Formats: sequence, C-alpha cells, structure tokens
Amino acid sequence: MKKDPNKGYIALLGWSLNAIEAAEAFDRRYVVVAPDWAEEYCLEHNIPYVPWNFERLNDRSMEIAQTLKEMGVDVSIPLFEETVEWAGAINSVLLDNPRLLGQAMLMRDKSLMKRRAQLGGIRVGIFEEAHDRDDVIRFLKRVNQTLLKLDGDPNDPIHVKAFDKAGCLGHRVIRTPDEVDSIPDEEFPSLMESHLDGWEFAVEAWIHNGKIRFLNISEYVKLGYSVYVPASPELEAYREKITRQIELLIKTFDIEFGLIHPEYFVTSDGTMYFGEVAYRPPGFKVFELLERVYEGFNAYQASMLVFDPKSTEEEVEAYFPNAVTDAKAHAGCFGVYPRRRVVSRLEIPEETEDHPYFESHELTTPQEEIVTKRTAFGTHWGLLFFVGKDPKEMHRLLERQQDLDFYV
Amino acid sequence: MNPDTTTPSEGSRLDGLMSQMDDAIEKLAQAPAFSKPAKVGRVFDTARRVMLQDGGCAALETRIQALEASGVFWGSDWAKPTILLPTLSRYSLQSPVAETVVIEALSELRFLAVARGIYEHSELSAEQASHFLTQVLAANLSMLFTPPSEAERETQGRLAQIPRKLLTHLAERVGYDQIIDQLIEEIWRILNQRPIQVDSIKQMITQIAICQADPEIDLGSSGQGADRLVSSLYGPTQACRDDPGVDAYQHNLDSMDSSALLKEATGFARAMHDTGLVSPYHSTLLRHLLETDDHLLPEALGLSTTGRDCLLCYRELVYALIREAVHPQTPQAIYGLSLTLERGILYHPSVAPALWRQLALILSEWSRSRLSMAFGDAIEPRSRLLEGVLCMLGQPLGVGQGNNPTCQSARALSMWAYNDPDYLLQMVAWAARDDEIIMHFEGQSISSCESQSGVASSLPMDLDAVSLLVVPHLDRIYAEMGRRCIGREGDPHRWVNPEFHGWWSGRGFNINVDVATGALNNLEDFLRHFYASYHPYYNGNQPMIHPQPAGIAVTDRAARFIGWHAITILRVATDPDQVMRVYFYNPNNDSGQDWGDGVEVSTAGKGERYGEASLPFAQFASRLYIFHFDPLERGELALITRDELDDVVGYIHRSWGADRVPAGELQADPGQD
Repeated sequence: MKKDPNKGYIALLGWSLNAIEAAEAFDRRYVVVAPDWAEEYCLEHNIPYVPWNFERLNDRSMEIAQTLKEMGVDVSIPLFEETVEWAGAINSVLLDNPRLLGQAMLMRDKSLMKRRAQLGGIRVGIFEEAHDRDDVIRFLKRVNQTLLKLDGDPNDPIHVKAFDKAGCLGHRVIRTPDEVDSIPDEEFPSLMESHLDGWEFAVEAWIHNGKIRFLNISEYVKLGYSVYVPASPELEAYREKITRQIELLIKTFDIEFGLIHPEYFVTSDGTMYFGEVAYRPPGFKVFELLERVYEGFNAYQASMLVFDPKSTEEEVEAYFPNAVTDAKAHAGCFGVYPRRRVVSRLEIPEETEDHPYFESHELTTPQEEIVTKRTAFGTHWGLLFFVGKDPKEMHRLLERQQDLDFYV
Repeated sequence: MNPDTTTPSEGSRLDGLMSQMDDAIEKLAQAPAFSKPAKVGRVFDTARRVMLQDGGCAALETRIQALEASGVFWGSDWAKPTILLPTLSRYSLQSPVAETVVIEALSELRFLAVARGIYEHSELSAEQASHFLTQVLAANLSMLFTPPSEAERETQGRLAQIPRKLLTHLAERVGYDQIIDQLIEEIWRILNQRPIQVDSIKQMITQIAICQADPEIDLGSSGQGADRLVSSLYGPTQACRDDPGVDAYQHNLDSMDSSALLKEATGFARAMHDTGLVSPYHSTLLRHLLETDDHLLPEALGLSTTGRDCLLCYRELVYALIREAVHPQTPQAIYGLSLTLERGILYHPSVAPALWRQLALILSEWSRSRLSMAFGDAIEPRSRLLEGVLCMLGQPLGVGQGNNPTCQSARALSMWAYNDPDYLLQMVAWAARDDEIIMHFEGQSISSCESQSGVASSLPMDLDAVSLLVVPHLDRIYAEMGRRCIGREGDPHRWVNPEFHGWWSGRGFNINVDVATGALNNLEDFLRHFYASYHPYYNGNQPMIHPQPAGIAVTDRAARFIGWHAITILRVATDPDQVMRVYFYNPNNDSGQDWGDGVEVSTAGKGERYGEASLPFAQFASRLYIFHFDPLERGELALITRDELDDVVGYIHRSWGADRVPAGELQADPGQD
C-alpha cells in the first residue's frame, strides 16, 4: 500500500508474519526489528528491517533507540512479552518520555504489577513472592489456614507464575507440598496467588489519548485451551462494569496510548478480581479472531493507529467498529495438547472437522513420538479455528474439544 | 460465509465449505509473496474437507483456475504441469501427508479442466492434459473401485477416501472405456480369491456392462475379456441370455420340460463355479426346481458326489435353507450352500441341528436394524443373515475385515468357520439373538456388553452379514482381553490368541521383536524354532493339523514397514514347482500384495486353494514376527543350514528389520554356527 509520509513511522519489535502483512497493507511506514536470522527472508521479500537481538536490557540498549531515532521512526510497538521492556526503553527516547520505561517494567514484573494495582484500589487475590520452594509451601499452608481448612481436608490450590513469562508459560497450579518439587530452579523468583473460583476472561483494549477506543471481551472456555470473541451475552452483560475496571487500570498504570491485554475473574457475586495485564497482543491469536468477526478490522493496524503519535482523533474514532453489534459471528480457537504419551500422527476427529463451525487449523505432523510430560500449562501444539453464530454452540464445541484426541 | 446452521444437509454442508474455500482462496491470492506459505495451509485443508463431500471434486473443478492463480502450486513441483509424471501420482495420492494428497488431487483437477476445455492454460494443451489423465487413471485403477487396503488405512486414515472420490470423478468425466481392460484383469485376480463380499466386484462389472451397452461409448477393442463376467451376472444361460428380468424368466421356466431345466441348471452351475458370482436368475431357477423338479437341485448347485450325498442325507434341512435364504436379492447364498455341502461339514453331529436353530432364530431389534441399515429392506434381515452364514461356512477363507482395523475378529470368524463351524454358529446365535457374547479369559468371563471399547472406534458397516453382527462383540472382547494383560511383560498376544481363537492355538509363543524397544530380538532362535515347528523337512514331515494364528510385519512395495497384522497359517506344502510354501489366510480384503524386495504374495497359480495366499517358506518367515506352537512338540533346532538362515535374515534386514537391528548384532562373529 502507498505510504503516507505525514503519518507516523513505526517500528515493530519482534517477528510476526501477520503483523508484517498488516503493516504492508497499511498507510504507515514501518520497519521490522528482529534477530539477524530474519535478515535473509526480509531481503528476499523486500521487507524493511533492522537487525537486533533482544536479550535483557543492557548498556547497548541505547544503540537501537538511537538507530531508530536517526531513521525518523516515531514509535515502536512490542509484539511479544519479551519485547515489552524494549519498547518502553525505545519509546522513552523516541517520545522523550522517561516514564514509559518504568511503566513497561511494571508490566513485565507480575509482582510489581499486582502491588501497583492494589495501590490503585483494584481488587486482587492474596499474593506473595516466592524465592524458593519453602516459600511456596508456606504460602500454600497459610492460604488454606485462612480458609479454615483442617488437617486432612483437601487443599484449595494456589497458582505459581514465573515473574516474567507470557500467558500460560511457567504457570502452575499447586495443590500439595509434593507438587512443589516439580518447579524447576529457573522459575524462581515467582508470584504466588490464591485460587479464585469464578469466570475468567480477558480484555483487549485499544487506548488513545488515555481513552478506551475499542474494548473487546474474550471469553475463556478453559484457561490455556480455548477462547472466543465476542463473549457470550451473559458475560457481555458485565461490559459496563468491565469498562469501569479498565478505566481504573488505565488511571492506575498511567496509560496514555497502546493496546493492553488484562485478565480478570468475576466471582459468582459479580465482584471483579484483577489477574494481570500485558502491554502486547494476546497469545492465542485473538487478533485473528477479531479480524474474522469484524469485517475490515485489522487488530495490528488498530494497534499501529493508537501507538502512532501522529494519528488524529478523527482518524482513530473512524477506524474502530462498534463492539459486539458489528460482529457478524463468534470466532473461537482451541489450543491442542496431545493427550497420549506416545503419538505417531495428527488425526483431526471427524466430529470436529465435520462441524459446520470448523474453519481451519494450524496443527502439524508430530516431530517426536514421545510426548514430554506437561508440568506447567506449557505450550499448545497448534490451534483450531471455529466460526459460528450461536455462542452457546461455540461454547459447547470448544468445551467438547478437550475430550478429543488430535494426536494418536 | 454461512455458519449458522448446525445440522445441515449434505448440499448446504458443501455450500458452507465452498464459501470457506472461496474465502481461503481470496486470502491466499491477496497475500504478498512472503506470507503465502502461511496462507496456503488453510487452502489445502479446506480443499481436503471439500473433497470428502459428495460432489466436492466437481465443485473444486470450477474453482481450479482461481486456485492456480492464487498461488496454490507456487514453489512446488506441481507449479510446472509439463514436468509431472502420471505414474508418480500413485505415490502422491497414497501419501500419509494430507498436503501431498490434496495438491496432487488439485493438480489432476487442473488437468481435467484443461482437457475439457474449461480452462485455457498457458503451458498445457487440452490433448496433453487428456492423455495425461488417462495414464493417471490407469496407474491408479486399483484405487478406483476397491476400498482402501490395510496399508492405506494404516497410513492415511480418512484421507484414503480422497483419491477414490477424485478417481471416480475423473473416470466419470474421462470415460471408463480407456481403463476397462486393466479393470477386467483386476476383477479376475480378486475373484480368484473367492471373497464373500462381492458387491464392489459386481459394481465394477456393472460399470463395464453399462459401458458396453452404451452406444455413446466407444470401447474399441477393449473390454473383450468381460463377457464371462457380465454374463455370469446378467445372463449365464440360454433362457436368460438377453437379461429379461426375473418375472419374465420365471415365465420362461414355467413352460420348460425336464431336459430344458437340466440345461439351465448346469449352465448356472458352471457360471457360478467359474467366477464365484451368482446371478439373480439362478435363485429363480433354484426356487422353481424346489417346487417342480427337485431331483435337478444337485445339478443346479453344481455338486460333486460328496455334495450330492450330503444333500440327500440332509434333504429337509437343505430345502428349508433354500426356501429361507435363496432369493433373487441373495443369490450368493447358492454358492455358499453349494460349497458348504461340498465340505461335508453337515456330517459333523452338531452342525445340522445348529443350522436348524439358525433357521428358527429370532433376531433382536438391534440385529435387525443393523442388517437393514447395511443391506436395505428388500428382503427379511434373517434371510440376509442366513445367506451370510451359508457363505461363511462355504467360504471360510473369503471373510474380509472391510475397511476396519478388526483383522483379529475377521481372522477368528474365518478360523471358526474353517475348523469349528458349530462354534461359529453358536457365536452367531448369541450375537444375533441376545446382543451379547460371553467369552472366558483365564477363567474370568468377559461379556461384550460390559467391555467399554474395541479396537475400532466406530461400528463397522462394510462387512458381510455375519461379521456385521458378530465383529462388534468380538472386537470389544478382544480389546478387553488385551486390557487384562496390561502390566504383563511381553506381547499380550501370547495369552490373548489362544484364549480368543480356540484351544487348538498353540500355548507356546515365540516373538522376534522386543516389545519395549521394537528391536529385533533372538532372531536366529526364533527362525530355527519356526522351521522346526512348521517346516515338514524339519518337523518329521508332520503336516499342520490346526490353523494357527500368527503375526506378520506388513511391508509396502518398497519393503518399508507398515504395521503389524494378524493372519492364519493354514498349511505348509510344496507347490507344483516343488517349492516349499506357506499357505495362509489374510483377513485383508485382497491378499495379493507386493511386500517389496521380491516378496510378492501369490493368490493363484501356486497351488493355492480359493482364498489362500502363499509365499515360499523363507520369504514368509522373513515377514513373520509372532507364531504359536505346541510346547510339547518341539522339532529339531540344529538342522537348518547357515545359508538358509542367512537368506531369511537378509530379507528381514532389507525390509522391516532394517532399523531394528540391535546394536552390535551386525558385528557378530561370522564363524559361529
């Protein structure tokens, strides 16, 4: 697409083909900042590219910010959890706003994030930091004491999450002290939280000039497995309440622009508990789902729009569809994990692929026959995509997939 | 996009898929070159699902130009149609990789559209395309009408339907005349194995007959070998030569005298025993003779003195069987009855009364509905079942497993029909009347109702009438026996086979694969022991007494391992060329298979009886991995020569054993013997 030199020049931090494709078809100039293994591909396909290996922030961090600044880049967008602090550092230089780095660091540390939320008056569960396994055992006992459990009663579980990993990576549910031994050393320090029984959901909110421009509620059917958008009418009924929560979050974290992806619980009495928030596109391809249901909407382009300091109020207002009412169907995806210990091939069950909602999948033939035992939530082996009009059927369908074998 | 219907009919299912297809094609077409690889997967997957629908290939044919333009062939060999070789299509279509099957299928549809002049292609002329397609069809003839083989089922699963749907579509468009001669050869090869299920063969013959009768189709000089096949179904005798219809034929019969009827009777019998196929007119004649000239029945059944004696001894029973089982819709019952009489098994004291029970058997609601679902309502389900019983008793080696992973159950049925017919009849009674079979495993009873699931995940439908009712029970019991062996060291067949098949299965058990690692284990002892137990030169010239279950490692024509398979060893004897061969039963629907490295399973011409497969002893031993023996009758191990053993081991190492040789084995001291 023809690029408009009067609009912003945007750096994409991290390698995402979908993001590049969206940028290619958008009127902003862009450049991909990615490790040097991407160089050959970018040269071959004429993709603007700056090499950079994202490791921990170090004394060379200024270098990339300077390079981009000299190129005339206006803002950078993080595409993955690992590039969030880089975007903070780079944008604090490009936009001349040192607070952006501190804000990004808050988003990268689950413990700091929780404290900040608590300070802002947002409800969170009981949480604590763990530096070793003894901390975990102590917390498990304390939480269950608080719940007035007696010796021998089954414990309520706790959640342990590595500080700085995205989504379900390094997220474990611990019920007994024995299970604590399965946590590897490299996952400490980590954040421990009490378990909340409730309805879990995520939000994607595009923010411009401190205001929410588009708010999507993503309904989890089962955390780590399945999600669909827009949410069911039952969950959408909370939209007002959820919007107020997000406004509180924006205020607490002092967010002026960008895309945030927080997670919440609603308990049976309608109380909202904050889980965590990420300053990047969600995993599980929620972006693709949104594109599928909102005609002409592209979530990556939407992000470029709200990050770009040169975007005008009118342009932003005109871009976004009306949440829920403009959606032509519900789109959902399901992350497949092999259920058997030894697998030899991929076989999509007939009942799945014959269902009229089934649209496509990204599963590939297994490379190894022995399935590694899953301790944390881990990474799924690929996604299935569904589209259909009835949210009840979508919910049932996604739930049903949990009982099926895709690798046999 | 119209995803809002939850229970669509076939038509709207295809419509829904086609709008997804168009969407996927459009996304691929719009994608810049760098992201095409990420979009093409959805196109392939959607195309695969479209092709699984009836009419799917035709629908895709209309989109083929858009598909090629969108870049679906980019970066692959298929991008340049002129370099493609028709013979290679066979390997692509049988590939376990869905993308390969789909891209090949799409490419064939492209050739079809070009050949028909719908698509003007820059690199390909209509003549070229048409010639190419003919060769593709000829190369894949075996897939056109036959259900997937064990190998295809194992490697392709549901995908195996796609090449069939594609080839049927191509053949309809291209015309069957091009491919008929090869087809005829194939039919004779299968008929020589005398399967019980002949519906697909009858379909093929009908296709040929239709082509021959259609003045629009120019068969040229092809199709001449089809006469016997077509006539055996549609006009085996003088009085029905022009296929007059059953009513008109009955009318002809009414005016015939005895000598004319005798001519009819022998004509039918000859056609039936020539081909194994029975014409509906034959049923009409048999029922007619029953009323008017029953002394001609032995001629009409084509019986030898043995069969004739048997018929005369059990006249009432045989008449009752004819009345109940032989109808124009169930002509194969005649062949089954004839062979049953020839086997002399009615002289077995329990068989005749068991057949009387079968005649009076009240079928359960479930059994009746299964039978009508599979065979239609034209005649009573119990007549269908009786036809199946007669065929199984008459052709014990004609049992096939259909397109299901239930080789164990098919083998058991065949073995009982062959060796213990009254036990088979007992099983049929339990399954058909009671919907339950109880067997015993090491003293504990196992009910087919209580066992949760079998090897097959859904109820098989493509089976003969007996298998249709009994296999689901056997499959669950077999699986349950396996479950009861969980935790035991070694292969569960050691315990399951004798308990499942019958007391005559040897309790001794030998396996040459280490279950935990899959590596070859104790190979030489295994082979020496097998020779000592089965080979007449090493076992004191003792012919086999009972059929024995055995396990083989099936390999494909490139000698690559495909899977483990259950068979029955029937006998070991020299063939007309004095080569010692193993004759065995393979529950697979077509035993004539090429297992690679020169190991070609023969089904006719090497001393085989109908339904038997055979291999030279050494070649058979090279694919064997499990056998049973009587522990009290061990032969002499030491006498087999080094050369003979090396021959067998060579076959193993060049095929399924290639990557199973335990470390260090190849360096073994060559001096040892």
